[in-house]
Amino acid sequence: MENRMFPIFDRGLSLLRQIWLPALLVVAWWVLSAGSKSFYFPPLSEILGALWHDLVDGPLAYYLAVSLANLAMGLAIAIVLGVGFGLLIGEVGVLRDVTSPTLNFFRAVPPAAIVPIVIIALGVGAAPKVFIIALGCFWPILLNTIDGVRGTAPAVRETARAYRIPSHLVIFRVALPAAMPQIMAGIRVALAVALVLMVISEFFGADSGVGFYITEASTRFATKQAWAGTILVGILGYVLSAAFLVFERRVLAWYFQDVKRLRRPTATTGRKG
Amino acid sequence: MNFMSNINLTANPAVKPMVVDGLSKSYGSGANAVKVLENLNLQVNSGEFICIVGPSGAGKTTLLRCLSGLLPPTSGEVRVGTEKVSEPLAEIGLVFQDYRGSLMPWMRAGENVAFPLQGKGVPKAERHRRAAQCLADVGMPGVEDRYPWELSGGMQQRVAIARALAYDAHILLMDEPFGSLDAQTRFDLEDLILDLRRRLGISIIVVTHDIDEAVYLADRVVVLSGHPATVIDTVSIELGPDRDQIATKSLPLFAEYRSRILNQIRKLPA
Repeated sequence: MENRMFPIFDRGLSLLRQIWLPALLVVAWWVLSAGSKSFYFPPLSEILGALWHDLVDGPLAYYLAVSLANLAMGLAIAIVLGVGFGLLIGEVGVLRDVTSPTLNFFRAVPPAAIVPIVIIALGVGAAPKVFIIALGCFWPILLNTIDGVRGTAPAVRETARAYRIPSHLVIFRVALPAAMPQIMAGIRVALAVALVLMVISEFFGADSGVGFYITEASTRFATKQAWAGTILVGILGYVLSAAFLVFERRVLAWYFQDVKRLRRPTATTGRKG
Repeated sequence: MNFMSNINLTANPAVKPMVVDGLSKSYGSGANAVKVLENLNLQVNSGEFICIVGPSGAGKTTLLRCLSGLLPPTSGEVRVGTEKVSEPLAEIGLVFQDYRGSLMPWMRAGENVAFPLQGKGVPKAERHRRAAQCLADVGMPGVEDRYPWELSGGMQQRVAIARALAYDAHILLMDEPFGSLDAQTRFDLEDLILDLRRRLGISIIVVTHDIDEAVYLADRVVVLSGHPATVIDTVSIELGPDRDQIATKSLPLFAEYRSRILNQIRKLPA
């Protein structure tokens, strides 16, 4: 129901609609786990207590910063290389045909499978973790960029040719923006991959990071801390994807408006001679 | 708008004639080759307004793409002045029917108009100035910062025309430019390009399937027909340089031209 007098009520109502289920789940977990004597499923109140304690007084805030730095670095490298090579391969037909089977093979390899060997090869420290995240994120971004560049509307290409637009301008002001919706979709997928790899890469040969916190707690049988780390990763994933959505809406403002307009039916004449 | 009576007053000496010399175009090769255009000859004089009409599927768009240099002819050639058109030339501005696809949706109207100038290496301040001026020339001052989706179809097509003007095109090639617009918008745009031709002395070639539009706009109407298409008639339209949507279209001579062309198109099996 629309309430014209009090639009704030509408917004509140819509927020309420979205939030009741998660709130219910948290409350259910809280109530059901209260007074739990199970070693593996401690009460939620204690888990959150441990989370708060380790964030404020413990090493967790520092670990979080380390993990996020790896994630940001890896994702940034993947975006630069994925979009860069994607534009190149998408624009150059020969390159596309030559690389296509290879790319599809590498895409099929689960990025997590490469973690142990990379740790052995590159040792401990940030480098192997950044490498793993970058590698895992590279493929979805690369392949989406190639698809996006290839999918550029023919009329736009023709226009660029008819007006003798030099190729560097075609790449950066035609192909890149035309592919941007696809590129953004690729980055969204990459963000989820990055989060998984961020945690997994810290399971081996690490001495800090959220993933290290979780495994380290598990090996000590500190289940409260292990749960706390897991919840933190969940919250992190949610916040990152929500932030990305806002970012995407802003970058692709033209696209969402354009799509809205194109969906509107318009009168057009038949085929032309 | 239609107040000047002498075209020669504004004749632009920089505008070169376009010559189509024995142009043929086939798609495919060998036994599967489909011949679309057969031995077309045409001269477009400096500052002349030519309309090319023909039934659907007669190869009008193919012809325009050959004229623009986007499509290489199978034999024969197109020349602008003495230069052979083998790729798009700086003198030719193209306006497509599909304005919605040909304007870049991620660029504002001003950027769309200025973009080809960036390719030419025109400095930024000058690009902005020219874009603003050309948008004003097509009757849309001050829309530089609007995105294409904020503009109606007619306004988007005006932006596309402004882009060709900013590019300093001496020959405007238009492919069914007003085909998807409503009647009133269409009339306004027809008068706009007549006025631009008068003011700038540029040559304009419009491909259309609308015979009324062709007679109303053109100095000469080229009738294309057959498979493969050939020029079956060239009609000089002696309606004077000033045209008016109501007065011109009610002249007996207008009706005469229209039926002559219509008969020719209908005579041949489509």
